[in-house]
Amino acid sequence: MKRLCVLAAVLGIAAVASTGLVACGDSDSSSSGSGGGGAGEPSSVTIAQASQPDYLDPALSYTIHGWEPMWTVYTPLITYQREEGEAGSELMPGLAEALPEVSADGKTYELTLRKGLKYSDGTPVKASDFEHTIKRVLNLESGGASYYEVIKGADAYLSGGNPDADISGIETNDKTGEITIELTAPEGAFSYVLAMNFASLVPGDTPFENMTKDPPPGVGAYEFTKSVPNREFVLERNPNFDEGTIPGIPAAKIDTIKTVIQPSVPQETQDVINNELDFMEEVPAADFVAEILERFGPEGSEEQRYKEFTTLSTYYFFLNTKVPPFDDPKVREAVNLGVDKPGLARLFAGTLEPGCSFLPPGMPGYSESLDSGGCPWGDPNEAPDLERAKQLIKEAGAEGAKVTVWGDNVDPTPKVTQAFADQLNQMGLDAEPKILDGGVYFQTIGNESTEAQTGFLNWFGDFPHPSNFFFLMNGETIQPTNNQNMSNVDDPHINKEIDELGEEPDLPKVADRWEDLNEYLVEKAYIVPYGYRKLTTFMSERMNFEDCTPISPIIYNDYSQWCLKDE
Amino acid sequence: MVGPHPEEAEPAARAGLGPWRLTSRRLRRDKGALAAGAVFVLLVAACLAAPLWANHVAETTPEENHLSDQVTIDGKRTDVVDMLGKPIGPTWSGHFFLGADSNGRDIMVRLLYGGRNSLLIGLAAALGTILLGLLVGLVAGYYRGRSDSVIRWAMDVIWAFPVVLLGVALGVALALGGLSIGPVDIAGDSLAIPTLIIAVVYVPYMARPVRGQALALREREFVEAARAQGMGSLRIVFTEILPNVASTLVVFLPLLVANAILLEASLSFLGAGVQPPNASWGTMIAEGVDRIATAPHLTIVPGVMLVLSVLSLNVFGEGVRDALDPRARVRIEH
Repeated sequence: MKRLCVLAAVLGIAAVASTGLVACGDSDSSSSGSGGGGAGEPSSVTIAQASQPDYLDPALSYTIHGWEPMWTVYTPLITYQREEGEAGSELMPGLAEALPEVSADGKTYELTLRKGLKYSDGTPVKASDFEHTIKRVLNLESGGASYYEVIKGADAYLSGGNPDADISGIETNDKTGEITIELTAPEGAFSYVLAMNFASLVPGDTPFENMTKDPPPGVGAYEFTKSVPNREFVLERNPNFDEGTIPGIPAAKIDTIKTVIQPSVPQETQDVINNELDFMEEVPAADFVAEILERFGPEGSEEQRYKEFTTLSTYYFFLNTKVPPFDDPKVREAVNLGVDKPGLARLFAGTLEPGCSFLPPGMPGYSESLDSGGCPWGDPNEAPDLERAKQLIKEAGAEGAKVTVWGDNVDPTPKVTQAFADQLNQMGLDAEPKILDGGVYFQTIGNESTEAQTGFLNWFGDFPHPSNFFFLMNGETIQPTNNQNMSNVDDPHINKEIDELGEEPDLPKVADRWEDLNEYLVEKAYIVPYGYRKLTTFMSERMNFEDCTPISPIIYNDYSQWCLKDE
Repeated sequence: MVGPHPEEAEPAARAGLGPWRLTSRRLRRDKGALAAGAVFVLLVAACLAAPLWANHVAETTPEENHLSDQVTIDGKRTDVVDMLGKPIGPTWSGHFFLGADSNGRDIMVRLLYGGRNSLLIGLAAALGTILLGLLVGLVAGYYRGRSDSVIRWAMDVIWAFPVVLLGVALGVALALGGLSIGPVDIAGDSLAIPTLIIAVVYVPYMARPVRGQALALREREFVEAARAQGMGSLRIVFTEILPNVASTLVVFLPLLVANAILLEASLSFLGAGVQPPNASWGTMIAEGVDRIATAPHLTIVPGVMLVLSVLSLNVFGEGVRDALDPRARVRIEH
């Protein structure tokens, strides 16, 4: 015990000292094995992610960490223009010769595969590979499976239990390359669903299992040549993909992109500053942002290596309309009036743009007026109307009502959750935050037995169609477990509009109605949107930042368009 | 009568001073231990005065966020938290005396309230360890046999786990769902959870020496005499054996409190101890780590408080141990 006591005292000092050492990072820092770029010499870059992508299998991955590298390796029948801004949200033919021909009733999609395509391993691409691709998504119970259940025969395929059975709604002809897809009901966003990473073609003999350790070949600028989960994975130039293989998709300019998994974001940040790392997937550590902006920002003292861009995302708090006190519209209005959006934005170290709209900027149906003086709850860039909020709470008889504010433990969510709880207390409620591990958060708040009153949520758009956001507010999606409609919004007007507008394949034709629906949702105060997330591009000085870092509104950083300065 | 140890010149021994008075005298002569004890008392007093500071000086609470507020420093209005999320440093005035954290909360207020939590948990856990350790140690040492075997086995199992690892595992499990045993229902974010965990993981450290002493004392003549007089086992344990292990408890208490405070800080740092929005020095250090380069006060200030409290307790505890040296004790036997 005596030795333990002395040790305890020493540990107390070490505890303080070691916190200083944390900022210095550990000795096992990210690899700096980048090089090349000279004439004839293979070029390579090293980049980092703080955590392993959920999967390196196109059928399964549902995170940006997985989609960004796979965007360069796999191509669906339809894909997006490799452009910035709005142009980047437009669909173009991928492995198909042209965009689909859609029947008058909106239920039949016809496409034809381009001829002569090969996967990175040289295997010819066949039309039947498409059906196999969709089977893998359904069979492996992918997070994206629900998007493809609208295909006729998908339900029967799932319930049949035989992975090799046919999906009756998909007909393919390997000789002609024709692919016909029949839906059970018209789905206006189905072209976007076909453009999702889940529908990227893989060879017909790809096993029905998670292929992360040995990703299958694809058709794209790069191929995976190494995958060591939680350590690194390597992309190399695909020898079977040249400029013109698929018009509109450029060939790779850099021969090798090595991604290392570096859990310490401060370490990653320091490495990019010191040019020991060429790019970091995460937003730089908050501690370094001021220095980075000052040195490498658009108005920095040195050459620009850093920029921010707003994503197709919305950060919001849900308000469960089925449980008190948020079953009372007055209380929900009070919360929308009293939430301090500029204050919350500070917790994101400048990477959150305060906002009032549910649909984010860049999404068809986004209402610019909501963010420029037309928000019914006050300008999102100004201080909240706390007095009015308190008054409404009082009028509703909800003063002192106990509220649990839920959040997960992924930074900065705990801070945001605590701040929001404090704001609710200032309005007159009696709120306490409850932080859960990220691994169980959504299952817990999505379980109706939890009766979660309010909590942290966000949504990053999978594709630029409002239905991808509005399914979160559709009464028909409410379910007792794994619920995504946490506010339990079941508004007949919203349900009807979602159904009607969702069937229309010509999105520009109904964009105004989506905008009206967005404004209606905000006015009803079913949720509390407070901003749109910005992500960043931060690179080493080797990279040609000025010419080769376009930001896709879909995938954000497009590795396949990167180049080095001396190229 | 047994005289004092020959190497020690103890005039008081000639007068037959009891062991506790002797201890007190030795302790009063140990200026270092007294100073350390005074430091700890001051820390406790400061933390107990937290509401006074919060209400009358800082005019805020430990949970209140001031994200969009401003303060006047040297005549200039300054954001409590700037647009990039960097909080202000010490203002050395009533408001934000030691600065603010990333949520715009007053660090001085959180430090004092957090100290209340850290010290309360440390003290309560130490007392819990002593109670449980005494109970199992005395039972194992006096009754021996099967009881001793079972208790020793249980202690060995707990002892086998590194303290922090065991604490984190229990803390994570209980923080989520709380603890519900029969009529006892403790919420996951209650301070009772880390208190209970720390008390339990340190039980072997208390139980082992108590067991050893009980084993030795049960063979002493005065215990045999008590048995011969028909005294029951339970009464013997509490009236004959327990007073003779009291000195061990006195020595252990400050050291246990120090270790408990340190373990609480470790668990809270790792997210398995005190849960938000409750403050503790450990949670404050954890919250400040991601701002260590631009706002080091967020980690340094609670770290210094932690070091001061643990060191002062350890030094005081060493002084108590030295003062209780049994070789110099005068014992009057009947």
